[in-house]
Amino acid sequence: MRSTWLTHKMLPLTLLLVLLALAACQPATTGGTEASAGGEAAAAPQAGALTDVGTPRHETLIFQTFDRKSANPDAMNPLMQYAVWRGFRELGWGYLWETDTGTGESYPELATEMPEVLNDEHTRFRITLKEGIYWSDGVEFTTDDVIYTLDTYFNEKEKLTNGNVNRIVNYVKSYEAIDKYTFEVETVNPSYDLHTVMGVYTWASAFIPVPKHIFEKEADVSAFRNTYPVTLGPYVVKEYDPNGFWQLWERREDWERSAWGWMGEPKAKYVLYKDFGPEESRVLAFVQGQYDVDTFMSPDSIKGAQERTDKITTFASTMPYHNMDDACGYGVLMNMHKAPLDQAEVRWAMALSLDLKEVGINSVNGEFKASPLPMVDTQIKRPIYFEPLLPWLNDFTLADGYKPFDPAFSSDLVARLQEMGIDASQLPEGEEAISEAFGIGWWKYDPEQAEKLFNAAGMTKNADGFYTLPDGTVWELELVIPGDWNKVMQRVGFSIADSWRKSGIQVNARQVDNAEFSNTQNTNALLTTTLNWANCVFTPNYLNSWQSMSEENLMAADASEPIVGNVWRWNNQTAFDLIAESKAMDQSDPKFLENGRMILQEMVTDMAYINIMNIPTTIPTNETYWTNFPKQDNYYAVPYSWWSSAKEMVVNIEPTGVQ
Amino acid sequence: MGLIQYIAARVGVYLFVLFIGITVTFFLPRLMPSDPIENYIAQLQNQAGQSMDPEDVAELRASLSELYGLEGSLFSQYVGFLKRVFLTFDFGPSFSSFPRPVTEFILVALPWTLGLLIMTTLIAWTLGNSIGLLAGFFHNKRTATMLEVVGVVLYPIPYYILALVFILVLAYVFPIFPISTTIRPGPLNFEKVKMILYNSALPALTLVTAGFGWNILSMKSLSFSTKQEAFVNFARLKGVPPRTIMTSYVFRNALLPQVTALALSMGTIFNGALLTEILFSYPGLGLLMRSAVGSGDYNMLYGTITMTIIAVATATLIIDLIYPFLDPRIRYR
Amino acid sequence: MNTNVRLESAPSVAVVPANPSYRSRLRLNLRLRMGLTILAIFAIGSFTLPFFTDVNPSEQGAYMKNLPISIKHLLGTNSQGQDIFWFLVFAIRNSLILGVAVSLCVTTIATLVGLSAGYIGGWFERVVMLITDSFITIPVFPILIVLGALVRGRTSFWVVGLLLVIFGWAWGARTIRSMALSIREREFINMARFSGASTFDIILKEIFPYVYAYIVVGFINTILFAINTEAALAVIGLSKVETPTLGSIIFWALNYNAMFIGQYTWIVAPVVATVLLFLGLFLTSTGYNELYAARRGHS
Repeated sequence: MRSTWLTHKMLPLTLLLVLLALAACQPATTGGTEASAGGEAAAAPQAGALTDVGTPRHETLIFQTFDRKSANPDAMNPLMQYAVWRGFRELGWGYLWETDTGTGESYPELATEMPEVLNDEHTRFRITLKEGIYWSDGVEFTTDDVIYTLDTYFNEKEKLTNGNVNRIVNYVKSYEAIDKYTFEVETVNPSYDLHTVMGVYTWASAFIPVPKHIFEKEADVSAFRNTYPVTLGPYVVKEYDPNGFWQLWERREDWERSAWGWMGEPKAKYVLYKDFGPEESRVLAFVQGQYDVDTFMSPDSIKGAQERTDKITTFASTMPYHNMDDACGYGVLMNMHKAPLDQAEVRWAMALSLDLKEVGINSVNGEFKASPLPMVDTQIKRPIYFEPLLPWLNDFTLADGYKPFDPAFSSDLVARLQEMGIDASQLPEGEEAISEAFGIGWWKYDPEQAEKLFNAAGMTKNADGFYTLPDGTVWELELVIPGDWNKVMQRVGFSIADSWRKSGIQVNARQVDNAEFSNTQNTNALLTTTLNWANCVFTPNYLNSWQSMSEENLMAADASEPIVGNVWRWNNQTAFDLIAESKAMDQSDPKFLENGRMILQEMVTDMAYINIMNIPTTIPTNETYWTNFPKQDNYYAVPYSWWSSAKEMVVNIEPTGVQ
Repeated sequence: MGLIQYIAARVGVYLFVLFIGITVTFFLPRLMPSDPIENYIAQLQNQAGQSMDPEDVAELRASLSELYGLEGSLFSQYVGFLKRVFLTFDFGPSFSSFPRPVTEFILVALPWTLGLLIMTTLIAWTLGNSIGLLAGFFHNKRTATMLEVVGVVLYPIPYYILALVFILVLAYVFPIFPISTTIRPGPLNFEKVKMILYNSALPALTLVTAGFGWNILSMKSLSFSTKQEAFVNFARLKGVPPRTIMTSYVFRNALLPQVTALALSMGTIFNGALLTEILFSYPGLGLLMRSAVGSGDYNMLYGTITMTIIAVATATLIIDLIYPFLDPRIRYR
Repeated sequence: MNTNVRLESAPSVAVVPANPSYRSRLRLNLRLRMGLTILAIFAIGSFTLPFFTDVNPSEQGAYMKNLPISIKHLLGTNSQGQDIFWFLVFAIRNSLILGVAVSLCVTTIATLVGLSAGYIGGWFERVVMLITDSFITIPVFPILIVLGALVRGRTSFWVVGLLLVIFGWAWGARTIRSMALSIREREFINMARFSGASTFDIILKEIFPYVYAYIVVGFINTILFAINTEAALAVIGLSKVETPTLGSIIFWALNYNAMFIGQYTWIVAPVVATVLLFLGLFLTSTGYNELYAARRGHS
């Protein structure tokens, strides 16, 4: 009796396991035609697959949204806070100048050329607009729209919630229209960056022209939602989800006379931005070919997806597989107002206590590029900042004569990865390729030297092996990291905490939601240490990130009000002076770049910011319906589905012909 | 106590629960570790690249406080909040979707949550109780034990695991249902209803599967013990056919505690629905609530939590009020 | 939060069958024995095994990543380079400790509140029951989300236990109070009262034995409630995920998409462990319940 009873008890359990096993094994090839299976596909089998929003799949380019769900799906007014990640930056608006995300160089979009400087002080400029650019409702784009937009910025600045409005209002002194296609601008200070303030600096432009003939009809532009906006770009909003999960764009009939119609025909008739859910379910939709381009996906999921279909590819075919050219990097920000983090020895000891190879292997399978300078090591910046500073890094010594730099970091990492069984064909070969792939080196992992430094600061290890403060209590360090909303950082953060704990630092890794994360970073009161993306410098112009580092922006140690820019409260007069000097300088001046290198040296000497790695921008693509996405061996643009690269992607992709 | 007193007592408890719930709702988010106003100011300053004039900051802070309903002492905010909620059902503007009112979002999300919830609760309750009844009535049969075991095994599996398994099996291995929810706007017609049902199938299946295990277990135990009672034995000896015994004698008596239990577990069922919504990106209150926590949107949190409390308390009240009609013996206690 | 909370709403599971047949009594004892065996294996295993290892299960990179099942790694290693078997052993131990601790507190509070309300009656009962009803009606999930965002990472997972106690006592209190209510009017209580016994004495010596059986069952059920609610919180990242528990192991497995990347043991093992643990608790609780009924029926 017992045995039958047992069998009965176990049967459903077995069933469950079978179910799990069934779920685990997958069809050998999951081809494209299966995509979007369900009612709608069955309804129109002749015409090929349809998307969830009813457009032909082969005419629709589908992006996973960058921010998952939009809180303001019907807010499309660029003067206010709006649903920016739904393709407006890329497909909807037009800009005077746009930045090429690949080279970091600006090029004119609505303007005919770069701004013409009218005086020696560099404060007056003349700008000419291209003729024959039309809004999507057929009205021509002229200086009237530009002047109207500037007027609105100045007149309504209290009510406009787009923070960039302030940037322009503080920057521009006066402006006037010369004729239908020409206008002039005078700035408050000598300006060398008009094209990245009134035009795009990589991610956004502070100035976005709005159609006068639409906006002037509104009594209160700040209450105007601008749903289904009249656009300058070659696409218009066709449909959007009131719940904020997706938005569908349709190519304009007259795309040729749009803001960037001159770039060529956008290949996709429809572009859909859609959130396919948390990574666990999203990756399944990706394998089924339900969408073409993902954003950030964890390396393990990508690997799993690639085992199921050969249509999914990463940016590069060898380690570290991903694009490492994002403007921001991951690093540990420390509040230098809080003891013991106010001592350079302690900060250096923390850097030397971190086994970054281990962290990178545990959290991202070793698919990362390390950077010792507090700046991202990208193709644009390497020749300007990294290569010139390499000899200095090699010779750099701490006060006690110790050389902390480890130039062999990357080749050691490659050796470790080989030991772990990663095939040699997946790894870069030769010193140069390895350095390109994994970085020029990082700080040594040297707990002994770290202990010496800690001891010098009066901090010793207790019987349990944990560092204590000079008063004898255990040093409990709080490390704030993003929660599930940024999986890669979440993992990196937990691994950093793990590594520090092994070296004797009692770390409490605290994963937090988005709002608390910003709060931690923005106010003086909460921050101790945090894993953050910071020092976002995309072009050689570092001022965009460092402009706010000055003495007057330093708050008192116990202040709790919002802080500006210098979130890590770095106080270094030499650097402040250099930044002030650079602000009044032509950015193409070699001295400007030299200043940048000197600021970097100051930051390293103080260990003001423990920079960890470039953001591994994974962006895997599924080439079932579209091919010719930007890849390392087809580098016509960076692979991001946002910023100007999205424009290049849209005009360069090719349909595969799969229906 | 008469029926009137019974109803009055129930409504009294209902109002008290609402009051407690709304009070808790008001004070909880105040403990949240983020400050929307300071965040906004910091964002402005960072974009402008310079510190703002302290006077400007103070002015901005004051005007934002007023807009967000955060001016005055905590107590006066609390009184104002109670007034607005009870009199006008107004939670103020959402912070992250400023300046749209929270109520607008809630009214959009509520039908989704209620629809999913009512449908799945009915199915899980009916199905679970029927199976439980069979298992309890024929408790000696192997099938009965089997059915109980189904309950025992299903019941402890967490929602998120069930959800994931369903997604893997029914949306990936056999792509019958969609992986994520896509509802296109448009008039409510047959096509739209079809679209909604098609997109709700997986979350509903998860809720039903997770919910009916317990109903099997408790109904089985109840009907088993009812079956042993004297009046059932008497009926059996009198020659009443087993089928009639099962439905008229055992089921009717075992049903009452199940109704009570349903009323008491409304809150719990709601919890499950909220979690499921988050997992499936289903556009209901749960998802709204989760993103409100993520973005530190106080007003949205007030609105969504208050709404769930009202919904649960009302459902409980309705079941409580129906109860006397089901059980003539009730002593209104 | 979780289906398992619902067991709490099921005093009916604890309804005592009046007159079990001889055959079913035999089965009950089997149930109890099986349940206790499962629990004993879990408890003894998870408490003694940690003495045989000096590895810290939550340390990352302790071994090579993604190793298959072998003698050295009974369940393989996961994508963080941890041994899945040892992580699971510690997880079961911590979850059990948490469950028992929470359940002890919850049962004590529920018994005290329920008995005193039921016995003392009057305005005291009304106020207490109003509060109890509020706690039962208010959906705890939204509140736990907010509290979770507030406390997570700042404290140990004992705080999570505390939250579970705060939101867990009401069900039991309600049931015990209604049982005390029905006993209050019985003959022998009046006898005791007339013979001068104090209120406390009456509650403890006369009423308590009658609700004792329910309390045991409730205790077991609450263990389950605690373990599973902590797990649910951990899975949405609101508990202390670096402490091994049945929830945190599932959190990490889901985070690394274990099912999809072929790390089946990582996700299946904790689920199976949870189901087995539940089975043990369920069998013990129903087995004990019916054993108690049988004993009473024959004495």
